[in-house]
Amino acid sequence: MKAILVLEDGKSFNANSDLNSECFGEVILNTSVVGYQEMITDPANAGKILVLTYPLIGNYGTAPKFNESLKVWVSGLVVKETSRIYSNFQAKSSLGDFLKEKNAFTIYGLDTRTLAVHLREKGPLFGVISTKEFDPKKLVEKINQIKRQPAQTLLPEISVSKLKIIGKGERLTVLDMGVTNGLLRQLEALGYSLNIFPYNASVKQILSINPKGIVISSGPENDPELTRVAQNIKPLLGKLPILGVATGCQVLAAALGVGLIRLKLGHRGANYPLARPGSFKGEITVQNHGYVMDYDALCKVKGLKVTAHNLNDHTPEEIESKSLKLIGVQYNPVSAGFDQVNPMLVKFNKLLSAQR
Amino acid sequence: MPRRKDIKKILIIGSGPIVIGQACEFDYSGSQACKALREEGYRTVLVNSNPATIMTDPGMADVTYIEPLTVDVLTKIIAKERPDAILPTLGGQTGLNLAFFLMKHGVLKKYGVESIGSSVGAISCAEDRNLFKKAMQEIEVEVPKSGIATSVKEGMRIGLDIGFPLILRPAYCLGGSGGAIAYNKEELESFLAKGIEASPVHQILVEQSVLGWKEIEFEVMRDCADNVIMVTSMENVDPMGVHTGDSIVVAPAQTLTPEEYINFVNLCKKIIRKIGISGGGANIQFGQNPDNGKIVIIEVNPRLSRSSALASKATGVPIARIATKLAVGLTLPEVMNQVTSKTTSFFEPTVDYCVFKICRFTFEKFPYAERVLNTSMKAVGEAMSIGRNFKEALQKGMRSIEIKRYGFGADGKDKISDEMLKKADSVLLKQIKDKISIPNDERFFYIRYALKAGLGLDEIYRLSHIDRWFLDNMKQLVELEEEIKRYKNKKIEDEPNIPQELLVQAKADGFSDIQLAFLLNAKEEKVRQLRKKNNSRAVYKLVDTCAGEFNAKQPYFYSTQETKDEARPSRNKKVIILGGGPNRIGQGIEFDYCCCHAAYALKEEGVDSIMVNCNPETVSTDYDTSDRLYFEPLTFEDIMNIIEIEKPIGVIVQFGGQTPINLAVALREAGVNILGTSSESIDIAEDRKRFKHMIDKLGLLQPNSGTVFTFEEAQKVASNIGYPVLVRPSYVLGGRAMEIVYDAELLERFIKEAAEVSGEHPILIDKFLEDAIEVDVDLIGDGETFVIGGIMEHIEQAGVHSGDAAMSLPTYTLSPDILKKIREATYRLAKELNIVGLMNVQYAVKDAKVYILEVNPRASRTVPLVSKVIGVPLAKLATKVMLGKKLKDLGFAEELIPKHIAVKESVFPFNRFPGVDVMLGPEMKSTGEVMGIDTDFSSAYIKSQIAAGQKIPRKGNVFISVHDRDKRDVIAIAKKLKDLGFNLFASSGTASVLEKNNIPAKVLPKITEGRPNILDLMKDGKIQMVINTPSGRIPRQDEVKIRSQVILYNIPYTTTIFGAQATVSGIEMFMKKDLSVKSLQEYHKIKGKKVK
Repeated sequence: MKAILVLEDGKSFNANSDLNSECFGEVILNTSVVGYQEMITDPANAGKILVLTYPLIGNYGTAPKFNESLKVWVSGLVVKETSRIYSNFQAKSSLGDFLKEKNAFTIYGLDTRTLAVHLREKGPLFGVISTKEFDPKKLVEKINQIKRQPAQTLLPEISVSKLKIIGKGERLTVLDMGVTNGLLRQLEALGYSLNIFPYNASVKQILSINPKGIVISSGPENDPELTRVAQNIKPLLGKLPILGVATGCQVLAAALGVGLIRLKLGHRGANYPLARPGSFKGEITVQNHGYVMDYDALCKVKGLKVTAHNLNDHTPEEIESKSLKLIGVQYNPVSAGFDQVNPMLVKFNKLLSAQR
Repeated sequence: MPRRKDIKKILIIGSGPIVIGQACEFDYSGSQACKALREEGYRTVLVNSNPATIMTDPGMADVTYIEPLTVDVLTKIIAKERPDAILPTLGGQTGLNLAFFLMKHGVLKKYGVESIGSSVGAISCAEDRNLFKKAMQEIEVEVPKSGIATSVKEGMRIGLDIGFPLILRPAYCLGGSGGAIAYNKEELESFLAKGIEASPVHQILVEQSVLGWKEIEFEVMRDCADNVIMVTSMENVDPMGVHTGDSIVVAPAQTLTPEEYINFVNLCKKIIRKIGISGGGANIQFGQNPDNGKIVIIEVNPRLSRSSALASKATGVPIARIATKLAVGLTLPEVMNQVTSKTTSFFEPTVDYCVFKICRFTFEKFPYAERVLNTSMKAVGEAMSIGRNFKEALQKGMRSIEIKRYGFGADGKDKISDEMLKKADSVLLKQIKDKISIPNDERFFYIRYALKAGLGLDEIYRLSHIDRWFLDNMKQLVELEEEIKRYKNKKIEDEPNIPQELLVQAKADGFSDIQLAFLLNAKEEKVRQLRKKNNSRAVYKLVDTCAGEFNAKQPYFYSTQETKDEARPSRNKKVIILGGGPNRIGQGIEFDYCCCHAAYALKEEGVDSIMVNCNPETVSTDYDTSDRLYFEPLTFEDIMNIIEIEKPIGVIVQFGGQTPINLAVALREAGVNILGTSSESIDIAEDRKRFKHMIDKLGLLQPNSGTVFTFEEAQKVASNIGYPVLVRPSYVLGGRAMEIVYDAELLERFIKEAAEVSGEHPILIDKFLEDAIEVDVDLIGDGETFVIGGIMEHIEQAGVHSGDAAMSLPTYTLSPDILKKIREATYRLAKELNIVGLMNVQYAVKDAKVYILEVNPRASRTVPLVSKVIGVPLAKLATKVMLGKKLKDLGFAEELIPKHIAVKESVFPFNRFPGVDVMLGPEMKSTGEVMGIDTDFSSAYIKSQIAAGQKIPRKGNVFISVHDRDKRDVIAIAKKLKDLGFNLFASSGTASVLEKNNIPAKVLPKITEGRPNILDLMKDGKIQMVINTPSGRIPRQDEVKIRSQVILYNIPYTTTIFGAQATVSGIEMFMKKDLSVKSLQEYHKIKGKKVK
């Protein structure tokens, strides 16, 4: 059936959909060619309308093993063309069936390139996709209504409600703000017993298991509850090794009193280069964020170093402090293939091992 | 890290002539390398034997050598120039092999030359099968089970051990030549023999077959700081078993999961590190079992390749430029991405479109060759298309390869009609299934037939192993085609009547107006009008390396059907240059050279240049050759769409070969301003009747001729003008379906063939002038002044296509009187046609008379050659003239006769088509050319022969067997060979003539009559040269056998008496003095003689 996407500035795009629905959210772009299933099940994308710039989606189907979590978190998915068949020996179902099963709203058949260029030029925009209402004016009005409401936290829904333990070994605390299976798999491979706590676990609760260290996971950015998480972990800084991943890294920054800056166009894709000061050797990283830490403010934190920055726009990518025993990575430290653990996680593991 | 300061002068090795497996992509990469090195302030020395390249333009490198690419010649150049480093990674397999052998012969060490880009160690590791296998095992990368054999016996043992089917690959062979698939013992034995012979190091890899597996490629770059990027992944639509150079390829890979993708990336990084490339790029090919994901590595090319050219054009990343900068010590983050100008090269490009590459084959040129694709590459060219989905890219690709198709079938040209397919019987079904299961150049059209005949995806998959995802996309096109057909008109005059939504969808899935017209039974023009009325028009999107994330500064464009156009045409004065499309025999790099020069000239004149082309190998499709580039098929519809958006002051059709010339009339009728010579003149030159009228009017001579449509007419004309006659279709290039016919019986056969090629156009019959000397003339005119660029004399007698003939510039036997006649005729023709731009005329000289064979009002194949020999950039001047400049003001108002002599020789793909006769004729068969240049004819000629790959002997045995009419001429040749110390072997007929003239020659028995015969001697390496002129139109079987063995064992040969004369005097010169090397810049210092 017919569908429409309308942005808060009134720009609209005609599309199609198989589901009769309507949803709102910030419209974000991801430039990766593959990884649609991972993206839509990554809680970091909760509440967003996700636009994939690669036009041919669904080619290799879906399989449960590629889920980053149990749910589809995006509010809506926007693609150019969905494949009606899938072709890969690992696939268990088509993307269409997967979305239907999860009741996820997808629109297709629109000029995603023009949409991408528009977002690049206009900066972050809220939007709506609908099969119910086609008048852009009315839809813009609806967007404005939603925007006027106070921001709701998504963390209670995303995070585990009570402590969950996986794996064997020394104990590691994972503060779940929307942790991905990809990160958990790697941490488990390092040989830890992962104690996954709700995002709002107290210091007492965290310390009660006597963990070797803490990992603050990725998750939705700019969530109203994040300040609380930052306050919670502040007393732990310097006591235990802490790793902040993506939004987790931003939480670390907040705990250090460092603010965030919103990007005009988020870094979302698999091709972001980072550079390390004093070295010609960089890294290509996977990223998914619309905010970055304030570089100048980071430089003012005593004992903290920015160990890597984005080569394109020089925003901070990695922070490290020996005295505070912390490592933060703004990008997603994904596996480098064949289940190898990302070097930053290995580095954190060394920091953990160095304790006692 | 800053660029290296310890090296100052760098030698770049080009790839030599265009051959199958090595085409313009190396001109593209070499040119980028020259520019990149000069940007960094290095002094550059370039060597390449191919004069038709942009890289050998005197302005590209500081010092340019057009000399044979042999170790001997390279050593001389190194000794003379003393470079600090050589960059061998831009010159294809030829460049890499040369560097390897220069190292082996100790030349690099002796002169203290370092190999940069790919160290000698890296080259050995990737190229030596044993080292490679060992290296891969060390990093636990699986290779197919295999063994290396240096003898047939060893190969048999290894092969039987692994089990059938087996893949055989000779080491150090470009484009996988000599490669084959063996299904049984006999095949294994015969392929082993051929393969070991084909390999320059006599090594062959016998390997487990991974037929039907997915073939995945990655383009990888690494710098000296160990930064590694993947430029793109590519997926071969044709699975393993078809050479990647022959496969349809898409970028990026379409059917990989993120997990698989990252695993491949992991392997690529491991491999490039292990091979040891630390300042350059590599192409890595994998096979993947589609049933369980198991990966094996197939090969690594530690250099720029055809695939890297494709990857460059597909993503917008100039791989050659970056690789060159990495080779001199820069790192990826230090090299800016000029397309975005906001990112560096340390960035993995991402795309928001689908790229489709499809190959151009020329089986029709070699009717006796098996029309089958395997691991030995056979494609002569390729086209790339871009769409927002696979279907659109596929359809655009199909209409880009210049096979007169306008999409994925449904264009009125299908061999099998829908009606036949609907009631397909078992015979037809079997034919279709065979065409799907045995790879061939028509496979994709047969998949369409299969879908229409009701075969399911699973069955087609089982037959072809083409991934179901691709098959389903094809099925979607077939379904859409059926849907469109429902709105078919009763009468063709009716207005097309198709629902708007369906029209939009059809266009979005790439259907051309011609296809829609056919399906709707309407006129193409009416479909176009309907589209315009309904506002369904193409828009242009960007190749910007970043999927729109950054506002690109220097992107290029492709058409699609979307809501917003991003072309943003400028308001400047601009000109569109129509390129030549995919390389094929008859239309290659020479035309691309001219198109590039047109762009350069426009820049100099302050006019925006807009290039339209679809050939990813070329310099013309480089992002910085023109101001704007449209990567589009060269059809009327696609070109008009661009013209309507850009509104240029005019279009240049003269430079892209026959493709744009054929569109000239239609474009003019659509109101487009054709720059230069009018389309009216073009039509006069192309239309035989009008042409004849003009020749008569000017009082010039032409062989008697007639224009016919049927065999009956042909017979009448032929007997009127007398046999032998030359039969050919009009409006074709490269002498397609052109034949010399000696009697009525053959005439019938060829008329039929010609009619097929010519379509609605008539067939031409000319008197064939036996034993005449052919001459090619290139001219430039501005409407007032006309100047001859060069007069070239063919070395072979008339009857050999001018694209195949060897030529000498200046002429070497023609009398002043004949030259005067040629000049007069040329100027008269130019004036009459009011040439503004370039013109080429072909003459035949017989009995002191000058006959006009052909006039082409466009750039010819010889323009780059002439430009380089006389030191005047003709194509550039021609462009300026088209903009209104005068030759007098441009400083070229008189013909120049150079003091040096250049000989062009052609290079043939016979080694790719086993069993094909190597005889030359009026149908062009060569893929490329080389030039030999020196101060005397014999030296220039012998250089051209060496450059063309002939191993010219200084001693040994020569076999001579000539046609009766050549017997008188062969005496002097044989005598000279004898005097030079060669032993002669001859057929009985030839031997008796020689005996009578006191030249002893050993008689060899006919092949069927005794042994050892000539075949045995060749096999044993006892024959160093063969002179064999054909005995008639239909060659005798043993002659064909001799000539195909010559190819197999790479024995120097000549099939014409004139060629033999030139070769023997060349050998004489070669034995007297060593060949010397001299740069083009040095030659150009000596001014030529002016002729009024």
